[in-house]
Formats: sequence, C-alpha cells, structure tokens
Amino acid sequence: MRTVSYTCPFVPAEWIAAHGLHPARIVPEPAGLATLPGAGEGVCPFTAAFFNEARSAPPDRAVIVTTVCDQMRRMSEWIEGERNVPVFLFNVPATWESVTAQRIYRSEVERLGRALVQWGGRPPTEEELSRTILAYDAARSRLRDLRGVLAAGDFSKAISDFFRNGPDAACLAAPSTARSGSGERGVPLALVGGPLLSVHFEIFDVIAEAGGEVVLDATGTGERVLIPPLDRRAVREDPFGTMVDACFGELPDAFRRPNSGLYIWLKEELERREVRGIIFSHHVFCDTWHGEARRLKEWSSLPVLILDTNSGVLGARTVSRIEAFLEVLK
Amino acid sequence: MIEAPRMISLGEWDARHADLAADGLKEAWYGGPISRHVDQGDTRLIKLRFDNSVAALGLWNFLLTEEERLLRAREEGYKLVGAMKDLGTVPVLAYSASRLRAFYPDGAWWIPCVMELNAGLLGIADSLGIDDSFCPVRAMLGAFVTEAHFPIPDLLTCSVGATCDDFSVIAQRLNGLGYPIHWWEIPARRRPDSGEAAVRLPGGFEAPREQVAMVRAELERLRPLFEDLSGERLDETACAAGIREANKVRRILRELRQLAYAAEPCPMPALELLIAEMLAIHFCSDRDESARVLAGLLNEVRRRVDRRLGVLPEGAARVFWVNPVADLHAMNLLEECGGRICGTDYLFCHAYDEIPEGMESMEALARMALADPMIGPAADRADRICRDIELFGAEAMIISRIPGASHCATEGVLISEAVRSRLDIPVIEVEVPPLIDPVEATVRTRMEALVEMVRERRKS
Repeated sequence: MRTVSYTCPFVPAEWIAAHGLHPARIVPEPAGLATLPGAGEGVCPFTAAFFNEARSAPPDRAVIVTTVCDQMRRMSEWIEGERNVPVFLFNVPATWESVTAQRIYRSEVERLGRALVQWGGRPPTEEELSRTILAYDAARSRLRDLRGVLAAGDFSKAISDFFRNGPDAACLAAPSTARSGSGERGVPLALVGGPLLSVHFEIFDVIAEAGGEVVLDATGTGERVLIPPLDRRAVREDPFGTMVDACFGELPDAFRRPNSGLYIWLKEELERREVRGIIFSHHVFCDTWHGEARRLKEWSSLPVLILDTNSGVLGARTVSRIEAFLEVLK
Repeated sequence: MIEAPRMISLGEWDARHADLAADGLKEAWYGGPISRHVDQGDTRLIKLRFDNSVAALGLWNFLLTEEERLLRAREEGYKLVGAMKDLGTVPVLAYSASRLRAFYPDGAWWIPCVMELNAGLLGIADSLGIDDSFCPVRAMLGAFVTEAHFPIPDLLTCSVGATCDDFSVIAQRLNGLGYPIHWWEIPARRRPDSGEAAVRLPGGFEAPREQVAMVRAELERLRPLFEDLSGERLDETACAAGIREANKVRRILRELRQLAYAAEPCPMPALELLIAEMLAIHFCSDRDESARVLAGLLNEVRRRVDRRLGVLPEGAARVFWVNPVADLHAMNLLEECGGRICGTDYLFCHAYDEIPEGMESMEALARMALADPMIGPAADRADRICRDIELFGAEAMIISRIPGASHCATEGVLISEAVRSRLDIPVIEVEVPPLIDPVEATVRTRMEALVEMVRERRKS
C-alpha cells in the first residue's frame, strides 16, 4: 500500500485511507538549514525538517503539502525539484466564514481524490467512505479516553501515533505506559502552539520534572487537531459532506482569518481543564504562531510563558525558564 | 526652465524649485519644494538623489503628501477604504464608486526608511509582539496605533490565503486590536489539471476556471460593502468604467516602463521609476491625479528618449531588479555603482497588465487578482522574470531580500536558479533593511562586483 505523507492536520486522513492508501502524518526529525542549499535566513525549522523528511522518504511515497503556511506552500516546489515524487499542493483557505471558503476546501478534497487515484488508489464507495470515517471517529474517541490514563507526553505521542498509523495505531490497542506514581498531579498547564518536532516532545518530561503537568496539549500535534466526535447518522447519510465539514470547520488554528475560533476553543478548554498556566511555544520564523504570542498573553488572565524553539533539543535556558515558571505557579 | 537631465541632491532641488517658481512654475495644490517634507520628519530625503525634472517633482510631492490628501478627501466627504495586502484589485473596484478613496496601509512599510526610524513605528510593532523577525511592513501596526501617518480608514479589506504569513499575521494582530477587517480569500494559483477548464490570465499565466469563479465570488462579497459605504450602486456600468480608468493608468505605466527600461542612455533614475510603479497598485490615494502625475513623467521620458538624453552615462550595466527595497537609497546605490534598472518585478508586475475589458467586471478583476505572481509557484514568477529580462535586455539580476519576509527565505534560490539556467546572466541576492547604512559597504561591494562582471562579459 502506498504511503501518503503530510503534516498539516487539515488534510483528511480518512479520505486517503478510504482510497486504499496509507495516510501518514509526519512529525519530523529536526534538520538543519544545510538541507536547504541556498536558502537564506528565515526558514522555519519545522518547514526545513518536513522538507528533509519528504526528500529522504522511500521513492514510492507521495507527499501532500498545504497552504496553511506560506513557507510550507513554497516548500512544495523544493520537494518537487529535489525528488521525483508526486507532490500535491492542497489549498486550505485561510478564511472560513464564507461559502466560497467552504467550496474551495471541498473542491480541493475532490481534487485530492483524483490525485489519490493517480497514485494508485481507487475511489471509495459511499459505504467504504462512511466505514472509514467512522473507524477514524471511533479511534479518536478511544484516543481521547487515554487522556489522563497516559502520562501527558505519552498521550501526545499517542496522538502522533494515531496520525501516523490511523485506527490501527498500537497505542489504541494496548496503552503501554499507563500513568505511574502516587497519582499526585502537577500544576495543570496548557501547551499551546504550532506542531512540535519529534525532538521537542521532551518538553512534557521537562514540565513534569519541574512539577507541572500538561493537561491540555493545544499544539499542532496535540488534541487541538483532533476532530470532535462526529454525528454518526450524518456520516452515514452524507459521508463526504460530513468529512469535509468536520475537517475544515472544526479545527481551531492560528492561521485562520479571523482566528477567533482558536480563542473560543482555548477559553472553553482552559476552563474545563482548570489550567493554571500556559506555555506557548513557537518555532523561530514561524510567523503564524509567533504573531499570536503577545496576543495570547494579553487575552489570557493566566500566566503565559513564551518559548521559541529551533531545530535542536530544548536548551538549558529554556529548561530553566520552564522551571522558574512552575516555581512561581506552585 | 528645462535643464539637462541629471540627478540632484535635495539642496539642489531647493535652489531649482526657487528658480522654477520664479519662472512661474504651476504646481498642484500639494506641490512645493521637496525639502519641506524633511521638516515633517522625512529625513531620509536628505540622503537621496533625485531626478531634476518638474515631472519628478510632481511625483515626489504626490507621494509624500498622501496623508494630507487623504485627510482632505475625508473632509470633502469621501469615504476611505484601506485595501490591505492587495496588489491592484480592490482599489480598482473601490474607485469605481465616485465617493470612495482607496489606499494601501501596507505602504507604511516605507515610513521607517523615509523617517529614518524616528517615527517609532517598529518599536510599537515590537511592543505588540511583532518583532524584527517579521517583514518591515509591521510598521503598519504602529501607523494604525499612532494614527499619525494616515487617517484610519472607514473600511478595511485584506486578502489572505496565498499571501505572505508576515502580513496575514500583522493584519490579524490589527484585527485583534479592534479594527474590523473584511477578509477575502485569494487561493494559491495552480496550474490547471489535464483536461480541466482553464482561463488565460493577464500576463500570460493560466488558472483553472474554477479558481477564477471562486475569486470572483470573493470579490462579489466586497461589492455591497463598497456600495453601502459610498451610497452608490456599483453596477456593471460603474465597475466597467472603473476598470477603464485603471487601465489608463496601467497603459501609461506600461509605456513608461518600456521606454525607460529599454532606452539608452537611461532616461529616468531607478528611484523615480520605483515610485511610479508603486502607483499602479493603489493610485497613491487618488486615481485621476496619479494618471496625471504619471503622464507628466511619461512625457518627460519621451522627450528625453527622443533627444537621447539620459541621467546616467551610456553603457551602465543593465540590471533587472526583483522585490521592492525597504530603503529607497538602495536604488541610488545601484546607479552609483555603475548600474541601471532594466526591468523589475517589485512583487506586483501583474498590476501593469491591462485588466480585461469586454467581459463582466468582476470576472475581469478576478482574473487580474489571480495573475499576481506571488500567489502562484515561484517557477511561474521566474518565468515572467525571464521573459521581461529578455524583453528589456537586462544583463544581470539583483534579488533584494526583504528582512523577515516569509517568501524571501526560499524563493530567491528558485528564481535565481531559473534565471541562471535559462539566460546565463549573473545574479546576486542582497538584503535591504529599512536603513541600509549599516550594511551599505557590503551591498555596494556586491553591486560593484556585479557591474564589473557585466562589463567583463561584454568584452568577451
């Protein structure tokens, strides 16, 4: 089965799977700027890392890049130039309130379907699509049940596992690392920002060691990008339409215009989880999330710690800042 | 008084203006000596060198009085539209209503240069969390907050989608500060799939018919906003007239570019031509006046070309310039190094193409919007650049990087590789900050090297 790699949560994995292909959302390993010969200063480390993964992937792989980020959009040309792999540039509208935006997204999903067929997939019947969507929905539900069962970092890794392997992800069959210890909880924190690089998952351990606990992973690799439970009847009646509406309409993100939905979602979740502090993390040169840092600080009544990350592990300074933040909150 | 064409300092312009005034020079109401703008804080003018024509005087005064003209327009009852991240589409629609004036708040990106950072706009952007990892257009935030550089528009529009992240984020920050914005979607232009219905766009690119229809629908959402604001009906007749008037400006610019970039010796300095080109996208807040100002400049260039008069010695290295510069002085610098401009892509070359007439206006504007070189693949942009380099006979290319701009990190390589491989001309990339002074020596050295290379290649 051919694998289709992507990293943007607005790519409907169900749609790829229903075509008989394997959708694999990449959480890239860090890569230096050297992977982009000639590129100047200013490349987001996540974009560089994704490029590196895409170009070093097996030759039978296909890649989907989306327009939610300008650098990522432009990276699609780099990938095409570097490797003879099929690349699909998926146009995800930044606006969402107009009928046109919804039409653009729907049309792009249809166009993606045609590309998937060219890549060896076959168009699903309504029944097949419905079954696949429901399987993903059920898997997300099982995944959510793991929140609080698994340690925070393991829960976030489980989400990545699900995105990489779909409903068959090992984490959904048998959670391996159930929360251990006395049950004493750390200071409840939210981690907010764009997607993490694989190396940055260490932040959960750093936070735990400092006496905190991420009860809300609102990063681009966390719960924020899990589509809420679907109306199963609606899925059976109109699987395609329901999938499109859910994938486009339900995910709060900083890139959307306006991005008020992100703050509405955050407000609800911060209250529900009784969060006491926010760690906001953005990659250096990720304009989209960087631009929200100060706004979030102004908006929230909670203490906010802003971290910027590059392609390396979290440095001693970052760790110290997290420790100090938690010391204040304890 | 007609003087031989040459580039002069601000002080020389003062003396020349006095002479011209004594000889009965007639200027627009916003006219006067350029140096008076220095008193208002535009201190960068002191460092610049200007063309000595009356037409250039008119151009500079038109540019530097935009705020004053907007305030006056408001007093006269015009409603003001801030068309953000819009390179030549929404203003055409807005000016189709007789009581609207559209302007380009993004133009504030030049304030840090013109006022030599003294306006404090970048500091305000910093304080709002938009630091120097963003493009200098972040100055716009400061301009809104201080309300000191343009009147706050009655209505703000902003295109998003296939735009740079910098501006999208800055506009969202503005929105978060309480400024209502009407967002409209401009999708990434893609090449039509095999067998897919396609439309040929102005400038030569193609787009799927479906994308044109979607952009058209987005523009249709704006139309009633402008109708409500102006109290006028923007029917097909009004919009078609708006397009015709915009095309008049574009035709002038097109001829101006063709003459100025092709003629030998160089008839008009790079700086004045850069400013002239900028008028295409938003008319500098007054469409009819911009046509008049540009026509004056065109006449001057025609006159010089007819008489083989130039502002630079013959044989200057013919350079194609990519991206606008944050510091205007960079254009002077090129000429000081022995170069001249022969073709440009300041991010909006679609704004010189005529908007199609003889079809429904919104369809025409949608095609225009989709012709933007920045919303499609860099390969498309490079293709147009190559065509223009050949058209103008440029011998080298400079890509000026805009500090912090999301597109500049990766796009320059793709464009330079395409140009080198297709045309085999030397290319350099330089970064131009709002004030070039700290890196001027480096930039100058690179430009000199480029010019030297051009001269060497001529010998061989």
